[in-house]
Amino acid sequence: MQKSSLLFQALFLVVASFTTAQSKLVQINIKSVYADYVIVLKDTGFSLNDSDHLSIDLIKFYLSGFQFFKNGKPVFKEENSYHLVLPAESNPFIINILNKNSQDFDEVQFNLGIDSITNVSGALGGDLDPTRGMYWTWSSGYINIKLEGRSDLCSSKTKDFQFHLGGYQSPFSTLKKVKLKVENSSIINIQLDIKNLLDQIELKKLDHIMSPSEEAVRISNIVANSFSISRH
Amino acid sequence: MKTKYIFSLVLLFVSFAFQVSVDPIFHKPSNFPKPVYDFSKNQLSSDKILLGRTLFYDPILSRNNMISCSSCHSQFSSFTHIDHALSHGIEDKIGFRNSPALINLAWQSSFMRDGAINHLDMQALAPISNPVEMDENIGDLVSKLQKSRPYVNLFYKAYGDSLITGEHLLKSLSQFMLTLISAESKYDSVMRKQVIFTNQEKRGYSLFQKNCSSCHTEPLFTNNEIMNNGLCLDSSLNDFGRFRVTSNPLDSFKFKVPTLRNIEFTYPYMHDGRFKSLNLVLKHYTNGITHSANLAKELQNPIDLSSNDKVDLIAFLLTLTDRKFLFNPEYFYPKEIFSEIVKDRE
Repeated sequence: MQKSSLLFQALFLVVASFTTAQSKLVQINIKSVYADYVIVLKDTGFSLNDSDHLSIDLIKFYLSGFQFFKNGKPVFKEENSYHLVLPAESNPFIINILNKNSQDFDEVQFNLGIDSITNVSGALGGDLDPTRGMYWTWSSGYINIKLEGRSDLCSSKTKDFQFHLGGYQSPFSTLKKVKLKVENSSIINIQLDIKNLLDQIELKKLDHIMSPSEEAVRISNIVANSFSISRH
Repeated sequence: MKTKYIFSLVLLFVSFAFQVSVDPIFHKPSNFPKPVYDFSKNQLSSDKILLGRTLFYDPILSRNNMISCSSCHSQFSSFTHIDHALSHGIEDKIGFRNSPALINLAWQSSFMRDGAINHLDMQALAPISNPVEMDENIGDLVSKLQKSRPYVNLFYKAYGDSLITGEHLLKSLSQFMLTLISAESKYDSVMRKQVIFTNQEKRGYSLFQKNCSSCHTEPLFTNNEIMNNGLCLDSSLNDFGRFRVTSNPLDSFKFKVPTLRNIEFTYPYMHDGRFKSLNLVLKHYTNGITHSANLAKELQNPIDLSSNDKVDLIAFLLTLTDRKFLFNPEYFYPKEIFSEIVKDRE
């Protein structure tokens, strides 16, 4: 068993080295930040010593359907492109995508969330496996984004906020397209600014979303607009 | 030239084979339409079906290892919870809906009373996670199974991989549930021209076709729609049906049209089990409809049935009983495997 899997790995490496002769890897770094601070979630979570006593315990989100453009024309796309971004594992979170013909591009496009066809395709594996904690159980559908933490601004007793954003059916479809201009075809540094997001949510009035709704659509839009290319 | 000829002949046979069956093991009854389930993504195999069947009967699926799928879905009642209006799950907690019968699931496009689940594979997640049913979490369940040697073997045999995943777990449960096909009732034999209805059943059948079949469409006896059948709100449950899923007021009081197959054994009836007998169900349709804005159009006009009509109609409904299904040994508790599993747990 183990021997054969080793053999497969060796074979894979040989094949991979042949293919990479003409193709390049695009490394995409997804950095979750709060304004100028990198959000470090390991063990204790991220907290900020500001007046609101903000802390963030959990960020998880799906990016899917990576596609690359040059002068507005599609150059290549990643097949089977589904990535669960886990800043708690590493921040920046690294996604490597094979650029088969090493073509240059000046724009990257991806979806924030999981498309509707995948949402109705039954049990799937890898990053889409329901054991990853990003699938609703009482009503079918992927949770595209999870953001949980605490802030004195919340009106709940525990001061917790909990946003589970998802929904693939009209009128509450939460899938959002993100397009960003890039200068470099081998490393792309993307950042997601949680401050931009929290600044636009009135936590006093809204501190949790747990199902598809108008608010889930609105907040998903804000998250999508909180991605940008970082210079460093 | 000759090889080309043979090749095209082989190709023809292969394409013919694919046309005939959607899956080599799945057997589509001759009077049934094409199934909804996409078998190309989860081809049946006897090892996977057996694994799914074992999981179906194993209380390891619940947090305290006490409740299995079969706790509320027993074969002799067509895989529902006989005599229970609402089922009790973990620690005797009472659920808020009647457990549905599990029949011909390969032809169903949505699951649960309100159609909240969009795919058979994902259905099991709901009872596994529900705090009053099994109150377990799929991730923890996978870790429990990974520690069981007999399960690691079963998964390896089924998927060639001893690493248990949520995907494989859910697909295995689907495999077993897809085999729960009921198509051997008297009704089916009549349709296949093997036997004939009695005069009373015949009268009942024409009453059925006139009054019921637009929603309980043959041969599955459901149109798979989610509709308001005019039940009044039970204020102790406040169940607004599909509204819970869509938040659309037009979906209030809508529930899935259930199949009528094996209806003799699936009492009590309706999403909350409010009717103990078929007589009471018919009384609802003739005298008890609550009119509201989204009442099914099929129920807008009153259904008129004399008491004799009702007796005849029920006689027809009893022809939907499929004893072969109710006692099919292929669905039984897999005793031999459990003796291994239990030994391993000790």
